[in-house]
Amino acid sequence: MAAPIAERRHGFGFTAPLLGLMFIAFNLPILYMLALSIWSAEGGLTGAYYAELIDTPIYMRVLGNTLRISVVATLVNVAIGYPLAYWMRGLSPRAQFIAVALVITPFWISILVRTYAWIVVLGNNGMVNRLLLWSGAVDAPVSFLYNELGVMIGMANVLLPFLVLPLFASMLRIDDRLMQAAASLGAPPRTIFLKVFLPLTLPALAAGALLVFILCLGFYVTPAILGGGKVPMISNLLDMMINQYPRWEQASAVSTLLLVVTLAIFAGYRALDRKVGA
Amino acid sequence: MKRRTLIKATAGLPLVAILRPGLAQAQVKEIRMIEAGGKSGESIEVGYGNPFTAKTGIKLVRESPAPFGKLQAMVASGNITAATFELGSGSLVQAVKLGLVEKLDWAAINPMAIFPEAKHEYGFGYQYYSTGMAWRKGAKAPTNWADFFNTKDFPGKRTLPDYPQYAIPFALLAEGVPMDKLFPLDVDRAIKKLLSIRRDISVLWKAGAQPPQLLKDNEVQYAIAWSGRIVEEKELEFTFKEAAADLSYICTVKGAPKAEQEAVAKLYYEMSVPENQAKAAAVIAYTGSSPNLDPLLPKDKLHIYPTAKQNKDVQWVSNAAWWAENGEAVNKKWEEFKFNL
Amino acid sequence: MNGQHAFAGRTVAVLGIAALAFLVLPLLIVVPMSFSSARSLTFPPPGFSLRWYEGFFGDPRWMEALWTSLSLALISSVCAVVLGGLAAYGLRRGTFRGRDAAESNYMAPLIVPTIITAVALYLGFAKTNLLGSFAGLVIAHTMLNVPLVIMVLGVAIRSFDVRIEQVAWSLGASWTYTMRTVLLPNIAPSVFAAWIFAFIGSFDEVIVTSFVAGTYETIPKKMFNELILEVNPTITAVATLLMLFTIVALGFTAWLLRRGGRLKETLL
Repeated sequence: MAAPIAERRHGFGFTAPLLGLMFIAFNLPILYMLALSIWSAEGGLTGAYYAELIDTPIYMRVLGNTLRISVVATLVNVAIGYPLAYWMRGLSPRAQFIAVALVITPFWISILVRTYAWIVVLGNNGMVNRLLLWSGAVDAPVSFLYNELGVMIGMANVLLPFLVLPLFASMLRIDDRLMQAAASLGAPPRTIFLKVFLPLTLPALAAGALLVFILCLGFYVTPAILGGGKVPMISNLLDMMINQYPRWEQASAVSTLLLVVTLAIFAGYRALDRKVGA
Repeated sequence: MKRRTLIKATAGLPLVAILRPGLAQAQVKEIRMIEAGGKSGESIEVGYGNPFTAKTGIKLVRESPAPFGKLQAMVASGNITAATFELGSGSLVQAVKLGLVEKLDWAAINPMAIFPEAKHEYGFGYQYYSTGMAWRKGAKAPTNWADFFNTKDFPGKRTLPDYPQYAIPFALLAEGVPMDKLFPLDVDRAIKKLLSIRRDISVLWKAGAQPPQLLKDNEVQYAIAWSGRIVEEKELEFTFKEAAADLSYICTVKGAPKAEQEAVAKLYYEMSVPENQAKAAAVIAYTGSSPNLDPLLPKDKLHIYPTAKQNKDVQWVSNAAWWAENGEAVNKKWEEFKFNL
Repeated sequence: MNGQHAFAGRTVAVLGIAALAFLVLPLLIVVPMSFSSARSLTFPPPGFSLRWYEGFFGDPRWMEALWTSLSLALISSVCAVVLGGLAAYGLRRGTFRGRDAAESNYMAPLIVPTIITAVALYLGFAKTNLLGSFAGLVIAHTMLNVPLVIMVLGVAIRSFDVRIEQVAWSLGASWTYTMRTVLLPNIAPSVFAAWIFAFIGSFDEVIVTSFVAGTYETIPKKMFNELILEVNPTITAVATLLMLFTIVALGFTAWLLRRGGRLKETLL
């Protein structure tokens, strides 16, 4: 059904002011950054910075490291988040509301706060270690902090809501009667879960996982604080390149590379997202 | 009568011309400084900012931290929001190379007597500081860098600075390289030494306040730290033996308005006054560049200052020129080192 | 639950509760710590004291950061709601060419890793003299929060039957009149929710702000610097106050949305 002329004329005008803002605040700076990465100091296009990027194995390795950590953190999120969403689905509406509130609230609390709290919990003198030492499970404090483990824990904690909420929403939409039907046909509970429930949630799960993965890639605050300088991720490298060295053209090249990777992954996310909405 | 008034009036003109620069200066309300922050920044305010404001009525507004990229961004944008910037000796060389700082007009500053190295063409060396070994009272005291890197006889976790210009030379000293033969640095040898204790490197710190915090929390037992952050802490120990003595500079940013530059000259003057330096030293245990400072420092605490005679003799000074040449290559190796931790 | 084995049910419950506890743990730590009398990060706190709150309110630098944060959040959230609201309307009701492209463009800040946005803005603002300016901060914050506004208002506008608007037009009402008296009152709770999200989003933003704020200090930027420069329980006091404000604001929003029947859709 075609929209009436009045609407068609109006549509663009409403979005125009925002488009203007996006141009100044986002599109142009990103394009400028892209341009910096291919514009040499003397003037003229150059691939030198990208060549240097590939020639410096450490930069590619940091990118690879970031990808690896992001994958693991995403899997951890899935391992914790899926059971959580599943359990929430089975709660009474009032309990569901409380659970959703508990999942959402940390999402809005400053990420610095949540990261800081993990220093208190995981440090050598922190709660967990004191508990372990007191119970005799270990005789020296375990290093939870200032390494990859600490960063993973921090990231999982911060990004969990991004996975749980859409997953929970999609689980809610699954009709109970489908499973009742399967049960009435004689299927055992495990089969019902594996063959009926799980496949229906897979699109939302995959989409949520991809979102978490993308967020992990660009993460700055948590790895910077919980990593103790020993967990080199792309964001920290970019910070060094911008603030400390500084090598802005290099930073542009690295940024652009990361952007390309992210957009490719996001294209995959959108495809899956459309499948969920369908 | 008329002629006399005319002569008086014209006689007044040169006076006005002399006064005019002063008039322009009266418009400067505040001078901004981008500096390292923390106690060091406070020492600048207490020691130099306050007397400066008392004399000129101009406020000193501080901003921190002072990463090199910030200076570059400011100059590149042409919008000089802060007239002064704090730079380490290595960064200063880099800044001069990139044309980011103004030449100082030492005639206009007319400082009191200061050490020659503090009278840099492009910066005022305002603060001597040392980087060296620190540890918790009660841990086995290391006597030299070989001890620091010896995790068998000196067990415990370490924290090192995320700055190769400090970590690399110390590793070489631990390998037995004598202080006067450090440069040119054998970077690969140093990295190997650093990696040999990788299991005990707990944190690579970026901010001066981190090592004392980590030591106090018992998160680490040994640290490389800036002296001023350690020496006044009751539970921590520091040694100046084989430490790195260095000088921090305040520079004028390229393109700062002329009126502000003139005001800043007065601020630089304040930094040369030994009484002011003593006040700054009371906030954080670093010394200014006046040769007449020692008598003004508390006698019983002389040993905590980097330039006290007993300390100056056992330290070494970095080679800023070498770092300007090789910094970038070393940075890449440093990133690899962190990756292999 | 139907079709679920009791044992599996209990395991899931344990996992679920453990996951919730994991999520909420940091918050439970930070609040008591802000009342601690000890100077370092010890938990449980040895004694009760309000010194960190006093320190926060008594420190002119924290108060300046608070003022900057509040004014920045207020201005940028209003801009985000106005611009984003208009755009959401155009996206939902309009059918112009390139609508999908425009929508992707608006959502982009959410997808592009924030560090890249921060770097790009740093370089771009440095070139255009916006670095370290309040205007630059407002522009950046508005841009960063617009995606959320569009999502929330998009849902609200979509669920508001367009035919009601069309009836109003066909009865001769002008567009502005229709907006004011027909659409807005119905989506008001969502507008408020969008505004609160934008406000909190701006108040909390740390990475981009750290890069482009120059001498302006916002609460999160100062907290981040303090975390690195000098760990000190004052930031737990700040954090607790932030939490309190967020919970109250979100609670109020939820109540508003529930009254408008929009709670579940908006959240999920």
